[in-house]
Amino acid sequence: MQNKATLTRRDVLKRTATALATAPYVIPATALGAEGKPAASERITMALIGCGGRGTSVMEGLVANGAQVVASCDVYRERREAVARKYQGKPYADFRELLARDGIDAVLNATPEHWHAVVSIEACRQGKDVYCEKPLAFTIEEAQAVVAAARRYDRVFQTGTQQRSDGSFRFACELVHNGYIGEVKSVHTTPGGTSRHCSLPAQPVPPGLDWDMWLGPAPWAPYHHDRCVDLWHWWNWRDYSGGLMTDRGAHDFDIVQWGLNADGSGPVEITPPEGGGKNDLIYKYANGALLYSGQGGWGSNGKPGAWVGFKGTKGEVEVWRGGIKTDPANLAEVKIGPDEIHLYESHNHQGNFLECVRSRKRAAADVAIGASSVTVCHLGNIAYWLGRPLKWDPVKQEFPGDEEANRLRRRSMREPWRLC
Amino acid sequence: MFTRMNGIVCLTMALLLGCVASIATADEALDKAFEALKTYKWGQDRATLGAIDAAVVASHKDDAAKKDLEAKLVAVLKSDAPQAAKDFVCRKLSLIGSAASVPALAALLPDEKLSHMGRYALERMPCDEAVAAMRDGMGKVKGLVKVGVINSLGVRRDAASTAALVGLLEDSDPQIAGAAAAALGAIGSPDAAKALGAYQAKAPKELKLAAADAYLACAERLLADGKANEAKMIYMTLAKPDQPKHVRLAATRGLLAAAGQK
Repeated sequence: MQNKATLTRRDVLKRTATALATAPYVIPATALGAEGKPAASERITMALIGCGGRGTSVMEGLVANGAQVVASCDVYRERREAVARKYQGKPYADFRELLARDGIDAVLNATPEHWHAVVSIEACRQGKDVYCEKPLAFTIEEAQAVVAAARRYDRVFQTGTQQRSDGSFRFACELVHNGYIGEVKSVHTTPGGTSRHCSLPAQPVPPGLDWDMWLGPAPWAPYHHDRCVDLWHWWNWRDYSGGLMTDRGAHDFDIVQWGLNADGSGPVEITPPEGGGKNDLIYKYANGALLYSGQGGWGSNGKPGAWVGFKGTKGEVEVWRGGIKTDPANLAEVKIGPDEIHLYESHNHQGNFLECVRSRKRAAADVAIGASSVTVCHLGNIAYWLGRPLKWDPVKQEFPGDEEANRLRRRSMREPWRLC
Repeated sequence: MFTRMNGIVCLTMALLLGCVASIATADEALDKAFEALKTYKWGQDRATLGAIDAAVVASHKDDAAKKDLEAKLVAVLKSDAPQAAKDFVCRKLSLIGSAASVPALAALLPDEKLSHMGRYALERMPCDEAVAAMRDGMGKVKGLVKVGVINSLGVRRDAASTAALVGLLEDSDPQIAGAAAAALGAIGSPDAAKALGAYQAKAPKELKLAAADAYLACAERLLADGKANEAKMIYMTLAKPDQPKHVRLAATRGLLAAAGQK
């Protein structure tokens, strides 16, 4: 038997070849197909975990791109059964049971924010690829744990920040990367504010809802319709969401990070509005660029939703869903040359995920990108909650010398839930 | 005659009085909030506790204020206040709690309704006393509550819990054994690796994957700590054909990483 002292890189490469011979990179889809659908060998079998409006909508996009739904899971019996009926799959009340079964290549994790990391990590551990709705994770440490799990098992992981697959956003970021607006001095966006504490009285738990499972890793609280039904309710509450800062911010800051070439990194200072007022929260990046984050929410400043504006020493570029505006105006007609910087090109977020499941390449909004973008959201929230300026070390992932802020990088999970 | 000096004195007096009044008002609001907290239940106006929220945030770099607040919060924890009130207290202590809060928080660990909130504070508190309280508490609690305490010790990577966690790998409750394996993986020491290595063959079928995952996590920790040879041994074990494909591939990638580490 070979011992530890004699194991060489060449030996390891031989082992790799052997392992790969028994585990092809192209994972075959397992279910038979209907007429007009991609061939069975091309189809990806998927499960939907979290069968609310967003989950069912994104799953339609995945199905349109060749996925086949074979299972569904939700804490609401009616919802999981409706999806199972629609796609002739099997409904599950517990995602762990679903993930442990064979015959599923990938999952769509469309649970509420407080569940994202637990479900995504368990999916990776079970060898499934993951499309996870944004924001990637509920805390900074949970985001890092999701990255670790995805990397440990080499899973294809798409974060649901679909603007990474929108040509307008990519072009705007390419203009910035290639210096068309000069040195970036400031970036502007308006995701909205943070979440609030919830104090709602108890109501009877409706039939068909597993309330304990809905709460999952969050602190126990009595059921109330307005606590949990649909994202319009739960994203208000701090135990389940970071509010608009994480919901909208996950999109807006994702583009800011892309444009500033800050994927995998982030800002170094965060300053909340003085006195808890309604002015912008301001981030500062290491290169001096300032990011102004408005509290009004999408559309509040007269700009379209999901709007990001980059201001540089030579010009400006504003981009939103479906549009782009530049100053000077002719920047919008620029053709990025072959020798210039071209960013990851994807035209269809769900399609890109399925292509990557087949090719084993990294997805457009890979897990590490999702992690650094959601960290920007969390940094802003922590500054809002503490009401004072903070310094952040994006390499060490800590607030230097700030014990209170560092405590807020994580939350304790209710038993039995954990990140591994 | 009203001189310039008189004006300055008057203005100073007015400002001082204003400050005193403002402090008095803040103190009154805080007292009122603590009074409301004694009987606070879900469904009551959360704004009645707002003065405590504000005081906790404002106590940054004011140790005396922090200690005073902590003492008042702990008093509520020791009282017969409703669950929602104690839930609130634990959230505040998770931000400013010190060793002084630990006994009152540790007392919550066996309580099925409040155990998590006790950990909610203890897990975030950087002092050694917080981890020691959870370590001590682990042996005194059962069932799901025990799973939670084990999970928190894993989060804190408490090496001093290793021996106790190794013992729990044999627990008949698979949730407890699985939690112990995960915690050992997070601790990631050579002792944890040894225990997890022995556990791979013994783990019941439903925990095989959890055992492998914990062992992989342990290898990553060892590798990060520069213990490449120890990590290699783990990866070699997990690259064998008795493991699922994705675990074998993870182990093979780990071997590559370990081989590349000098």
